Amino acid sequence: MAANRSVLARTLLTPRGGIAAGFLAVTVACALLSPWIAPYAYDLQNLSQANREPSALHWLGTDEFGRDLLSRIIWGARTSLAVGVTSIAASVICGMTLGAAAGYFGGAFDRAVTAVVDLTWSFPEILIALIFVAIIGPGLNSTAIAIAIGYLAQFTRLTRAQVMALKTETYVEATISLGAGHLYVLFRRILPNALTPVVVAGMLATGDAIILEATLGFFGLGAQPPTPSWGAMMSSGTAQIFIAPWIIIFPGLAIAATVIAINQFGDALIDALDIRGRLREG
Amino acid sequence: MRHQIKAALLSATMLVALPAAVRAQDAIFAVTAREVGAPSYNPITATKLNSANSLIFDRLLLQDADQSFHGLLATSWESSPDGMQWTFKLKPGVKFHNGEPFNARVIEWWVPKFAGTENAYTVEAIQRVEVIDDLTVRFHMKQPDPNLLFNLASSFMGIPAPKAYDALGDKFGVAEAIGTGPFKMEKFTVGQQTVLVRNDDYKWGSDLSQNKGPAKIKRLTVREIAEDSTAFLELKTGGIDMVYTVPTDFLPRLQAEKNIKVMTIPGTEIVYMPINTSVAPFTDIKVREAVALAVNQKEILNTLYGGAGAEAHGFLISSLEEAKVDPKYQIGYNPDRARALLDEAGWKVGPNGIRAKDGAPLQVKLWTQNGTEFKRVTEVVQAQLKAIGVQADITVFDASTINAQYKKRTEHQLAVRGYSWTNADILDWFFSAKRLGYPNVSMLDDPQAEALNDIAMNKSKTWDERVKNFRAYHEYILSRFAFAPIYEPANSFAFNTKKLTFPTAIRGTRLTSQSIIDVAVNN
Repeated sequence: MAANRSVLARTLLTPRGGIAAGFLAVTVACALLSPWIAPYAYDLQNLSQANREPSALHWLGTDEFGRDLLSRIIWGARTSLAVGVTSIAASVICGMTLGAAAGYFGGAFDRAVTAVVDLTWSFPEILIALIFVAIIGPGLNSTAIAIAIGYLAQFTRLTRAQVMALKTETYVEATISLGAGHLYVLFRRILPNALTPVVVAGMLATGDAIILEATLGFFGLGAQPPTPSWGAMMSSGTAQIFIAPWIIIFPGLAIAATVIAINQFGDALIDALDIRGRLREG
Repeated sequence: MRHQIKAALLSATMLVALPAAVRAQDAIFAVTAREVGAPSYNPITATKLNSANSLIFDRLLLQDADQSFHGLLATSWESSPDGMQWTFKLKPGVKFHNGEPFNARVIEWWVPKFAGTENAYTVEAIQRVEVIDDLTVRFHMKQPDPNLLFNLASSFMGIPAPKAYDALGDKFGVAEAIGTGPFKMEKFTVGQQTVLVRNDDYKWGSDLSQNKGPAKIKRLTVREIAEDSTAFLELKTGGIDMVYTVPTDFLPRLQAEKNIKVMTIPGTEIVYMPINTSVAPFTDIKVREAVALAVNQKEILNTLYGGAGAEAHGFLISSLEEAKVDPKYQIGYNPDRARALLDEAGWKVGPNGIRAKDGAPLQVKLWTQNGTEFKRVTEVVQAQLKAIGVQADITVFDASTINAQYKKRTEHQLAVRGYSWTNADILDWFFSAKRLGYPNVSMLDDPQAEALNDIAMNKSKTWDERVKNFRAYHEYILSRFAFAPIYEPANSFAFNTKKLTFPTAIRGTRLTSQSIIDVAVNN
């Protein structure tokens, strides 16, 4: 536990780790507290105030329905983070289970998992996500499921590689020769040591997942109106780009800043953990 | 050496000049959201056709904006006094793009082809077609049809080449589309574009065109652009030369552009919200009425469309006589009555402002299709419904798949959609129990509506009688609250004046082949 704390401390003490973590904390706070801190309801239309530029009343201006853009961006953080985090968490859990089982037991099961994973690995995540959204229909839940499936291959491969490397370690062989069961070895001896690279990769993938959610939202496949999603907001902003450029600019900045912060924090974490080499094994 | 250089320069000049000369007669048009995604150019079986259709296929007749009829493939026509026989004289010397001749035998083949299709109603009153001579046909009618000439002038009445049609089967209209029109289809990519090349043999333009010969444009690409802002940008930057429907948002900015001219012709469209009468909670007419009265047409017209166009309070465009219903049947914004109706129906306002009955919230599905305009209207309607305590969840569908979704019949509840048509028989198309699911998205299946439909469609002997009968049918549909009227757009198109010259007056009910063959490419 002490080691973990010092890693976190080392991450936060670097300038980029600290700034990124600070920004992420604000974003998470926005997402959690949006009903209380957003100045207006996200779906409150006021058509006579449509496409107004930023002002004291509406700090980031209004969209084409006269809705407050700041409120929608704050609520949009909830959508983006919820989809990004839950989809990657689900992907990590499923990917670790599959990858650990495949790497540890080997044999036909390993070959089957590897074949399927390699197949999906050869397609871009966006394509896999689009296919799944097309099958299960648009909406936030299906977006999250589609993203989770899109990233499954990555975590399966990474975990499998870690487990394969670890299972030949002396301490593992010693545990087995002492008569420990497979589950004990896998969950108590191998996975705790394989966890760090996978969690860090998951952190970095969260940034990508937020972009993917925004992309699906931009295509109209993600959150359905009036639920605010940064990607969908940008999409509707394209129609107003000459009249009200702020509708597309601010959500774009929100996506960019959040993803940059996640990536910078992830990078700082990798440096603090000194696991760059192990991440590549996947 | 000098000769060589000269020759090289000359050939270089020719290389540069040749494509430029070819390009000089090319043009690119664009259709927008409402026309995007037409799956084929098969006029007999299609339920959705885009504007390029009239360039490929000619009809017997064209209708002008003043409702008068003008011969295109027909030169003259007359009806027997009892309306039971119609005789058409056909234009001589007309050939299909593949060389097949156009004559009375083609009409004899063509009319029965409609049997069993969604468009069968257009020729339903025709008992049989008699060939009098090579260029004369006579329709023997089951009953008089005062709408026959309109039907023959509609966009679904483009006449395809018989041999090619029978040979290609389902592929007709996709792989190849062969008509007698001023342009031949070279390539069609569904949802993207149609490439047309001039029919150099064309010399049978109607008297609605100044040009009686081949079109002046040599090669015409009709692109499908769902996003209004993309269409606007493309027009502004010269990527397209003409856009069929100008999004209202962009009207002021297009008018300010010095190389772009906006022309407006009478509107042919209605945007409306069908209500699926066959699924709860809309099986209760009070809920339907409430939802219909929640739509604020004025707010939508003024704020989304900047006042261009008109509020819709019925199902038909305002230029039709049948649109002039008794005012008590018109559907308009009345939030107080809407709330009172929902109270009466047992839907009480809950703590979050959404109504509920027996613990179930008043939560309904609101469908729309891709394209900025539809999505915007839908989001405003969603907010207007919320104002009376109805939570409407939006789902956006791709334009080419939404009709298949409607055909499932019970999946949809509310939708925002639009149609373009200039005759009251559109009421039959969208509300007849023969077409439940789609086009009858409202799933209206009501014996009285069917009886009124039958009278209007089949029992009207004269035009005036038909108007009266359709008005009664229209009023009845309004009284059933099978839909909510929203908006009647103005019909504007815009073109690049540096690239194209349009005729000063656009003849016909919309911008179709009779005007396009007069359009010249500027050099």
